Amino acid sequence: MEVSSDYYDEKFIFKGEWDMPSVCGLMIRNVKGKTYIIVTELYQENPGTSVTYAGRSLVEQICEAKGIDIEDITYIECNPDTNSKLSFYDEKFFQVDFDADLEHRYRQLDRAELIKIMGL
Amino acid sequence: MKTFKLKLIYPKWEKLKGQTTFNLPPHGPVAFAATLPEWVDVTFTDENVEEINFDEPCDGVALSMMLSTQVKRGWEIADEYHRRGKLVIAGGISTMLHAEDMVNQVDSVFLGESEGRMEQVMDDWINGNLKKIYNYMGNLPPIELVGPCRRDLYKRELYNHKGVQMVDLFHASRGCRFSCYPCAVSYLGGRKFRPRPIDKVVEDMAGIDNNRLFIVDNSLAQDKEWEKELFRAIAPLKKKWISHTIEDDPEVLDLAAKAGAWYVYQAIYDTSDYIKDRIKRYHDHGIGVEGTILLGLDNQTEDDIKRLIDFLGEIDLDLAEFTVLTPFPHTKVYDDLLRQGRIFDFDWNNYNAGQVVFQPKHMTPERLQELYDYAWKSFYAGESQEQKMFRLFCNVAVREMNDGTFRPRDRKLVNKSFGKDVVRNIKTA
Repeated sequence: MEVSSDYYDEKFIFKGEWDMPSVCGLMIRNVKGKTYIIVTELYQENPGTSVTYAGRSLVEQICEAKGIDIEDITYIECNPDTNSKLSFYDEKFFQVDFDADLEHRYRQLDRAELIKIMGL
Repeated sequence: MKTFKLKLIYPKWEKLKGQTTFNLPPHGPVAFAATLPEWVDVTFTDENVEEINFDEPCDGVALSMMLSTQVKRGWEIADEYHRRGKLVIAGGISTMLHAEDMVNQVDSVFLGESEGRMEQVMDDWINGNLKKIYNYMGNLPPIELVGPCRRDLYKRELYNHKGVQMVDLFHASRGCRFSCYPCAVSYLGGRKFRPRPIDKVVEDMAGIDNNRLFIVDNSLAQDKEWEKELFRAIAPLKKKWISHTIEDDPEVLDLAAKAGAWYVYQAIYDTSDYIKDRIKRYHDHGIGVEGTILLGLDNQTEDDIKRLIDFLGEIDLDLAEFTVLTPFPHTKVYDDLLRQGRIFDFDWNNYNAGQVVFQPKHMTPERLQELYDYAWKSFYAGESQEQKMFRLFCNVAVREMNDGTFRPRDRKLVNKSFGKDVVRNIKTA
């Protein structure tokens, strides 16, 4: 269940839950003055906490490492397609708003929407 | 000379309704106890089979918890001891899964595997410096450090049903190279398969005063060469054992059978010929199969579930165990359902894999609950769970008689079931 490197520009090592060494795929795009951070779950390659469970802590670590103001970003979590027979491992993107309540925190985007908002 | 009297407790949980209840001697507490320094005098209480004596003198209390359904009871126990001025440390699988909550309920939380760590922890405790968190997540000890469990702590007569001794739990490896959708094992024990050295496994297994074991490793089918070596090495012990999946390979299955494979837990996830043939291959080698059937996945409609239940009648399973999808923390299913806002129940007492705590994709939670109940009733309609278990029991007894290892039931305990008196419903004319 290897994740294609098409999903990220670099692998970002972060401190997960209880400081567990963890890793995710990271892509940062600046489009029309907006900064988009896309983190990708790497499944077996990630020895620690998932990007979803790491949540806000992961965003803070990325912004600190990259010198980005956390107030200026749009944050997207990616479940990559792993060519699994199981639909649970199909590609999915979620825009995350950590200030929203649980019900409204995640908004699923389709690829077309992703292309539209990011101009990719 | 240092001494510390530690009371080790395994909290009780509510068993699933309508199912045969068996209490097996728990593995986690005695694996943990084996890592304590010699100067710690440990006693063990499994609350599932005996009452806790809260007034028994001790210097401190350790809670060992495996299931999410033990967590809240563990907190109640901690409260009782706090009222008596005792400090409580918690560890084990569900402590790790629910650590964020746990730190607020107990005095100290141990995260990770305890081999090579407890001398420091207990030194801290006896010196009045017990830390709030001992965090060894992601810092796993060498697998060679895993030694025999402290099975001497069991009150053996309590793990006995009408004179028949329950299986002992045993582990030949830790960690898992698979990351299955509903499972947290790779988070807990690492995403690498960590087999124990074969000589240690044999030594450990030989020392268990029980001819029937449950090898609780997540899956034995992770390293074929190690698996074959393991089966060759344990065969002379003539133990009979249950395990999770074994490699689907004729040579491995043959070795497993010769090594005492009694029956395996095998996931039944579709109605394919592959599954049907897989079950047949186990049976061809004299290995029984308990199917594990997970209900409520997003790719299952009502019709799919009914078809799956019907299919079980066609594949000659010896036993079946049904569970509903449960989003345990640190699993992918938790992440997915959380993001989709589909988890409606965060009461850990309900995370027993028999109660629906999320919104299924293709039906209401109530309908999934009905299908789960229907699955149990339907599979065991012709022959009860106890009758099917008895059939498997007879199978192993015959094999044991053939190789001279059969132990008759303990006549002194025939009227006891897990420490309680057996109520017999004998009809009189």
